[in-house]
Amino acid sequence: MRLPDYYEYCCRVKIVAGHEVLEEIPALLARLHAGRPMIITDPGVAAAGLLDVVTGALKDRIAIGAVADAVPPDSDLQAVSRLARVYGEKGCDAIIAVGGGSVMDTAKGVNVLVSEGGEDLLAFTGAGALKKRLKPLVAVPTTAGTGSEVTLVAVIADHENNRKIPFTSYFLLPDVAVVDSRMTLTLPDSITAQTAMDALCHAVEAYTCLAKNPVSDACALEAISLIAGNLLQVVENPGHRDGRLALATAATLAGMAFSNAMVGMVHTLGHSVGAVCRVPHGTCMAILLPYGLEYNMHKNGDEAGELLYALAGEAEFIRTPRDQRAQQTVARIRALNQALHEATGARHPRTLGEVRDRDGKALVPRGKLADIARVAQGDASIFYNPEELDVDDLLMVLEAAWAGLPLDPQRIKRG
Amino acid sequence: MNDFRKITPGGRPFTRIYLNVMLWFVGRAIQAAARQDPAVKREFAQLPEGFTFTLTAAPDGPSMVVSKDETGRVTYLGRRPANHPLNVKLTLKHMEGLFLLFTFRESTATATARDRLYVEGSLAEACAVVRILDIVQVYLLPKPVARLAVKRYPRWSFKRHAWDRTLVLLRTVLGV
Ligand SMILES: [Fe+2]
Repeated sequence: MRLPDYYEYCCRVKIVAGHEVLEEIPALLARLHAGRPMIITDPGVAAAGLLDVVTGALKDRIAIGAVADAVPPDSDLQAVSRLARVYGEKGCDAIIAVGGGSVMDTAKGVNVLVSEGGEDLLAFTGAGALKKRLKPLVAVPTTAGTGSEVTLVAVIADHENNRKIPFTSYFLLPDVAVVDSRMTLTLPDSITAQTAMDALCHAVEAYTCLAKNPVSDACALEAISLIAGNLLQVVENPGHRDGRLALATAATLAGMAFSNAMVGMVHTLGHSVGAVCRVPHGTCMAILLPYGLEYNMHKNGDEAGELLYALAGEAEFIRTPRDQRAQQTVARIRALNQALHEATGARHPRTLGEVRDRDGKALVPRGKLADIARVAQGDASIFYNPEELDVDDLLMVLEAAWAGLPLDPQRIKRG
Repeated sequence: MNDFRKITPGGRPFTRIYLNVMLWFVGRAIQAAARQDPAVKREFAQLPEGFTFTLTAAPDGPSMVVSKDETGRVTYLGRRPANHPLNVKLTLKHMEGLFLLFTFRESTATATARDRLYVEGSLAEACAVVRILDIVQVYLLPKPVARLAVKRYPRWSFKRHAWDRTLVLLRTVLGV
């Protein structure tokens, strides 16, 4: 492995993981000198019965100041201010966020207001705006994918001005990530597949893009082997507790990798497909991952080839000649998508053209690809991608991913 | 008490002068390319009126400011014009970071990957600024050096490489 001349890594989140770890939260909060948490979650989590599991595990041990179970999927500045007021009125002294990326982002925003005071979250944008520790924040992820329980970013919508505002600070990191297998045990098979493929993308991009470093590499490799070893089994047998814990752990590890090593063009394109066509993030990730590896292979083929060990195991790694390992990594990921497609009764799309909404309508019309390419030019993850992508390159990759054809190596421009 | 030596920072005057010269060149070259190069013209056309950006080093290193006025004309405004609102601020963590960038030992991408380059303001607009900087570096630098500064050395037409480059360099020096 080549070491970078310079790298930075920081992730100060305590991780508590297992099959019954929600019960630890009162003791964890006590150590942070808190005893009256506010629970922040969304209606989906509540409807799936997961909120009851959390409150059931806590209620005899700690007073819960307030339960906010109506965080909208695209939560905004108003929602954050409202929740911050409730926190104050109910005399809470900590936050437990139960949910996926959106709930985590909201909780991080609320934590800024309740810790720093004031009503206006916009006062805390910009580098270095936060200067001190916030209130204790416990993150309980309910999907095994985003890794937001260990990331320092919160994206909050500003619906009035139709924009999304990123907040970045080490102080936004949760104090504890509580990873309990019960939280993901009832996820439907297609959601399990999507979210795990998002985590796989975090790990693969962290390992193959420009900000890679030995610490994030270690997290990424372990995340990849946990996903490769468990995803299909869990999709076929959703109640598989150990498999669920493995995937949840993988998502957290992948979060630790990409929050420092960042992501590249798979996310550049994925964010844009999501923004233009409202396709779930994980679905975009699963479809686009092989293309990101193919496009960059002349630059990072060695790294992509190293991933074969984690993806396919020792025997296949040794059997594959060195110069074919990167290609084999791509083939392995395509095969995983195909297997997930079959195991979910075709609810795991393999191409952008195959993505449908609930009524069976195509979500990504071919005519939208040019718009998507234009939006992608403004996504900052493009900085971390090994090879340059101009608008024609972006469109060329989107067209291949739409049709499900491998990239034509002749059309990948080299300097 | 004489056992305890005091060290006063030197301030690295040579680095500062070098960077001021380089930033002056790049600022004027952006202005020149915005009037000569179709791709840079296109990038600026998509940025809002009054768009202003700066490239600098923390805490108070050398800097340059470029702005597009209401008529779409792009101008290098000098080192630090007072109270000009900024849309995008690219800040290197320290002067050494800027020095690595302008001695072409690190590209903007590498600087970003190594947590040396911070972006404030709109990220989408910052992406456009980086694309403009890349094109300008290809104009200013000989190929072997420019190769280190950008991810992929572009394949330009002979006209762009020869004729446009001559004009961009002329305009940079003359400031027209
Ligand atoms: Fe992601």
